[in-house]
Amino acid sequence: MKEKFDVALAQISCKPGDKQGNLEKIERMALRAHKEGADLLIMPELSLTGYVVRDQIYELAEEIPGESTRYVQRIAKSTDLHIIFGMPELSKNAQATIYNAAVLVNPNGVVGKYRKMYLPTHSVFEERRYFRPGYKPAVFPTNLGKIGLIICYDIFFPEVTRLARLEGAQLIVCISASPGVRRAFFEVLTIARAMENTAYLAFVNLSGIEDGLQFWGGSRLVGPTGKILVQAKYDEEDFVLHEVNYADLKSVEPFVPTLKDLRPELFDKLKKLAEDL
Amino acid sequence: MKLNPEILDMDLPEVEKQVLRFISDYVQKAGAKGVVLGLSGGIDSCTVAALSARAIGGDRVLGLMLFEKETRTTEDIKHAKLVARKFKVQTETIDITDSLEGLYGSIPSFEPQDKLSKGNLKARTRMIYNYYYANRLGRLVCGSSDKSESMMGYFTKWGDIAADISPIMDLYKTQVRKLARHIGIPQAIVDKPSSPALWPNQLAEDELGIPYAQLDLILYGLERFMKPEEIAAQLGIEKNVVNKIKQRWLSAEHKRRMLLTAKLEYRTIGTDFRLPRDPY
Repeated sequence: MKEKFDVALAQISCKPGDKQGNLEKIERMALRAHKEGADLLIMPELSLTGYVVRDQIYELAEEIPGESTRYVQRIAKSTDLHIIFGMPELSKNAQATIYNAAVLVNPNGVVGKYRKMYLPTHSVFEERRYFRPGYKPAVFPTNLGKIGLIICYDIFFPEVTRLARLEGAQLIVCISASPGVRRAFFEVLTIARAMENTAYLAFVNLSGIEDGLQFWGGSRLVGPTGKILVQAKYDEEDFVLHEVNYADLKSVEPFVPTLKDLRPELFDKLKKLAEDL
Repeated sequence: MKLNPEILDMDLPEVEKQVLRFISDYVQKAGAKGVVLGLSGGIDSCTVAALSARAIGGDRVLGLMLFEKETRTTEDIKHAKLVARKFKVQTETIDITDSLEGLYGSIPSFEPQDKLSKGNLKARTRMIYNYYYANRLGRLVCGSSDKSESMMGYFTKWGDIAADISPIMDLYKTQVRKLARHIGIPQAIVDKPSSPALWPNQLAEDELGIPYAQLDLILYGLERFMKPEEIAAQLGIEKNVVNKIKQRWLSAEHKRRMLLTAKLEYRTIGTDFRLPRDPY
């Protein structure tokens, strides 16, 4: 396993509904990431289709593995990258059961997928109308360490990141499609999730505008002490790269021993109160 | 939440940036050559003209000065020209009096005393000019409706509200004034009382029956689910005033969401045909 490697955050705007066009964009980003020496490329939430596709989701969703993941696998193979991207996943056993998924692909195929657990259905968001929530955290051992996947609104619920961390994730990847009115929340939460879990956190957001939703970009890699190691521009497409060095995790845990100090007995109480809310 | 005037303050450079981004992105995605807008000389249209010019360049913004004899004022014409010059917006002045009189004359039951129906005819005639130029020039119509008037239904259905994009519709009038000052709209325009110019000496605040400074705070509270009695108590006004505004806001939804049909089939236009609006 590599102790250190470069991660590329590709903050793109998508063309809604145009899978081929978006795949080609992923390919361009992969070529650039490869050229600049990265081992891992991260694309935003639903970067295969764009975020605001509404009813067209039924035509766009695909099984995993499927045509698009195979396309991304070919990209991963030719660029020797691990690639994380977002797509609507069609259930193998139903016609209109779709998940908002993050997929981790390497040159050998799909390493794993995560189905978004918290689907925002308020304000401008209508995810629960179209998607079924996932039920499992997702952490995958790779030769780039243990990578945990979460998606956008999941970050508002510390337990999702915590579950990934407890399963051993060293790098938490949060792919996102966050519009500008939410920027203040994400700017704090991305840092908080990294700090409280003493892990790296890579946040990759969309840019561009879809149906009046102005995605704010601002993708960043946050270190285990909460330091923003690199940040992409606000509001426009950008591509940034930075090193992840797991050796840095070791010195943080004794200093901020949040995992050692966990109090499992509180979780029963939390569960009870949440049920009774 | 405290309903004081400061609550309508905004990060003005950021709001300006996002509005410019919205205009330029949409024009580009639509493959349009620019925008056409009705430039009346009022605060809203002057602000949108200036923002459009900043977003895509004044040479791609055409302000149509659509005046007619009953409502034209030298002050409005002066203000429209002032903003056009300052922000390098192209303009065309058209006297639509003959068009209007042609319409009046062609309607057998035309009733000149019915101010509202006649006024709406004016607003819809202006819309026809905006869209004619947009079609001819391969441009979009850029609307200048604000949030206060849109929430109150204080506009003409298919008239002044008709546009391809409405960049300031999420800003209350008080906020439009702040943004206008920020981008350099001359103070005389910022301070001028608003008028839809449907008949002579028509003033928005008189018709709405409440100053914008107060209306906007009421609407702000309603937007955030505050109860009318709470809003009234905070602002020191009668609950009835707030209730009337709430009622007016809710009853005007038919003017903001315009296609309505009976649900008869599998997926229905305007109801559950949920498609992206952006041009692909």
